[in-house]
Amino acid sequence: MFASISSAVLFGAEGHPVSVEVHVDKGLPAFTVVGLPDESVRESRDRARAAVMSSGATWTSHRITVSLAPSHGRKTGSGLDLAIAIGVLIASGEIPAESVRNLAFIGELGLDGSLRPVRGVAPMAGAIGELDLVVPVGCAAEARLVALGQTRLVAHLSELIGVLVGEAPWPDHEPDPVLSDPEPVPDLADVRGQPLARGALEVAAAGAHHTLLVGPPGSGKTMLASRLHGLLPALDRDRALEVTMVHSAAGAALPPTGLLRQPPFRAPHHTSSSAALVGGGSNTLRPGEVSLSHCGVLFLDEVAEFGPKVLNGLREPLEEGVIRISRSGIHAVLPADFLLIAAMNPCPCGGGAPGACRCGDAALNRYLQRLSGPLIDRFDLRVNVHRPDVDEFLDNSPGESTAAVKERVVAARELAWVRQGGVNSALAPNVLDQFAPLEPSARLLLRHEMEHDRLSGRGYHRIRRVARTIADLRPVPSEKVSEQDVALAIHLRTSIGRALQIGRAA
Amino acid sequence: MIPAAGYVAALAGFDRMTTARLTSLLAGRTPEEGYAIATGEARAAGPVASLFRRDPELAERWRADGVRRTAERSWQECLDADVSVVLPGDPDFPAQLLDDPRCPAVLFVRGDLSVLDARRVGIVGTRNATQRGRETAAKFGYELASQEVVVVSGLARGIDGSAHRGALAVDGSRPVAIVGNGPDRPYPKQNAELWNEVAERGALISEWPPGTQPDAFRFPLRNRILAALVEVLVVVESRERGGSLITAREAAERGVDLFAVPGSLQSRASAGANQLLRDGAAPATDVTDVLVALGLDQRRAGRSRFDSRPRPRGDEVGLLETCRAEPRTIEALVLLHDMTLGDVAMSVARLERSGWLRETGGWFEAVDEWADLA
Repeated sequence: MFASISSAVLFGAEGHPVSVEVHVDKGLPAFTVVGLPDESVRESRDRARAAVMSSGATWTSHRITVSLAPSHGRKTGSGLDLAIAIGVLIASGEIPAESVRNLAFIGELGLDGSLRPVRGVAPMAGAIGELDLVVPVGCAAEARLVALGQTRLVAHLSELIGVLVGEAPWPDHEPDPVLSDPEPVPDLADVRGQPLARGALEVAAAGAHHTLLVGPPGSGKTMLASRLHGLLPALDRDRALEVTMVHSAAGAALPPTGLLRQPPFRAPHHTSSSAALVGGGSNTLRPGEVSLSHCGVLFLDEVAEFGPKVLNGLREPLEEGVIRISRSGIHAVLPADFLLIAAMNPCPCGGGAPGACRCGDAALNRYLQRLSGPLIDRFDLRVNVHRPDVDEFLDNSPGESTAAVKERVVAARELAWVRQGGVNSALAPNVLDQFAPLEPSARLLLRHEMEHDRLSGRGYHRIRRVARTIADLRPVPSEKVSEQDVALAIHLRTSIGRALQIGRAA
Repeated sequence: MIPAAGYVAALAGFDRMTTARLTSLLAGRTPEEGYAIATGEARAAGPVASLFRRDPELAERWRADGVRRTAERSWQECLDADVSVVLPGDPDFPAQLLDDPRCPAVLFVRGDLSVLDARRVGIVGTRNATQRGRETAAKFGYELASQEVVVVSGLARGIDGSAHRGALAVDGSRPVAIVGNGPDRPYPKQNAELWNEVAERGALISEWPPGTQPDAFRFPLRNRILAALVEVLVVVESRERGGSLITAREAAERGVDLFAVPGSLQSRASAGANQLLRDGAAPATDVTDVLVALGLDQRRAGRSRFDSRPRPRGDEVGLLETCRAEPRTIEALVLLHDMTLGDVAMSVARLERSGWLRETGGWFEAVDEWADLA
């Protein structure tokens, strides 16, 4: 007897449809799975058998062959458990074959027959097409976001068997409607003083400029960085779905509604491996931090402590907005369009006011050389963050709130969108004169900087883009970029380190 | 025929050679005999013999060094680098060092030692100096040199280099540098030009032969020579445990007049200088203080240089005044002056452009007219 069940597997952040074909016939009792299953799929055999028996159904003593079609491409994950169990039950005549027409199954089985959620249901549901989808209760929100057909929620295999043999209606496992209370985002009002750093965050959010915060320990770099994503506008439906797919595929936490509407914020530790950051793994191609921060903010604290290989892995996604991963036999393209914010100390000892640093030149050089030139160059904003003084700290008047700043950010982003159809950081050099014309005095200032070798060609374009964003953020945005805008943009792209190894020019 | 100095030059470059060892090797012997003993060709006796007994490995190393550093080769090195080898018996050996308790056994000199016959003031300080500190060093260097005082310093990064630069800005000045490595090896590299200029116009002195690497242990030894050669020592900026404090202590032991430039209590770079003041050094607020100590006519002092920078205008005046008191961040300026970030950024950029302010690591320091020499 033969059965074919629809299911899906996960591949990077994409779902792929899989037909689970089951053949049960005479022969020595055996249970084989073919079609490039990996170890987790081969283990399905034992889980499926135990779950079926725990559910009160009979497990056939015939020879069972399961084929996962198409047979090329490695299948991975425990999401095929349910489809395999149902397939075996149909092929051995326990369930009528017509009962699964128009149904697809995704879910992991427990030995007691209970259904467990798996990661990546959102992209897998997208791959199923118009079939009705049976998923564990825990995956309800994710599946519903994407599925074109009905979504059936099941808590236990015995329930499902009851439905399929026609003894019971579909169970009602509707999760309690959750009030979509977005997770609280840290508020910018908590930051005391620090007008320059605040200004930098606003500019970074408005123009999507990658930002490097440089400052001694305790100057509030982490506090500032974790307030950047709160300034970004909420995601529109398409982008929200893209982001949700990636998070689902990585098994990251999703909000109760299933849809991530707020830009994500990711802060991997500096000991993270290259695979953790850009994604990968031997068979599974799990999305990395760069993909999880797609449409959001990737925060690298103590960026100089990251491995140089790990950091250089960021260059491609920074350039292209996607990450291409290839392993033997597997290729995947994952989205990775993020806003990078990094933080570091000015030198190994932490630095501070002029004359406070105790580092030798060699130690300082070693420290700064951990960041490669091309990476440093990707930061449009390089901001010195200073410890607030005591007066600022004790001053109880709160700073501007995230909501107030976000309003300006959204307006500036719209302005840029209407003007050039993109964010300011993406302005090509050849359109700068058209979209970011300079006032004569602003041109003079830039000329002076270049004549004194403090500005290279690349730095010149970056400063003009940042100045454009600063001009867009004014209460009354002007078409031309003024001297003040350029002066501020230059201050927001400061030199790093006492010894000026990485000058403004770079 | 290799002169005796060639043997000393060879010996001075031996592994783990110290002033004391060199002195005992050469005591009562000709350099040739000393060299033969060190390399094991002749029997050691007295203190050298006991040194070898205590440390047999040293004898081994020196025997190997004898092959590497022959007197002939070492002499040739000195000739190639235009370095003269001066021994305590030589007529131009600095008299100030002869009765020093730790008199060097040899000096390697580029330039002319006769400049030491003039009045001599040492200016030393930290390598991690502030802009303000370097300017002060340059100012002192310039003003002392214009009084025909010989400025003696260590040619290090920071205060030392600025003092030399200030001195060299005076036509006809003849500064002296005491360095801690081979006189042919400019260290730090960015001061290479300064080294050569000091060697050409004044004298560049080292206890170590050409080719010696700048090892950390040699710098405190260098400091004692500097302290012994000067009549007055000025510490411009120094940290709590800076090398300049060693120089200051050596100077105090030798009865040299000690001055320190007072600094802010907040500035770590001035902590050592302030400590010296507390311990009894005289404050040097002006070059006149130093000239008085030398007994020189101070009425001609303080010859100022022409300041060609455009005067600040409007808001810039206030901002510059604030930065004069101490280095400020742009954020502090915004808060202190209650101006917008954009306005401050623009004014500060203008001040920077016209040379009144300088930015380091986000801090803005006022620049005085000595900045180009600092």
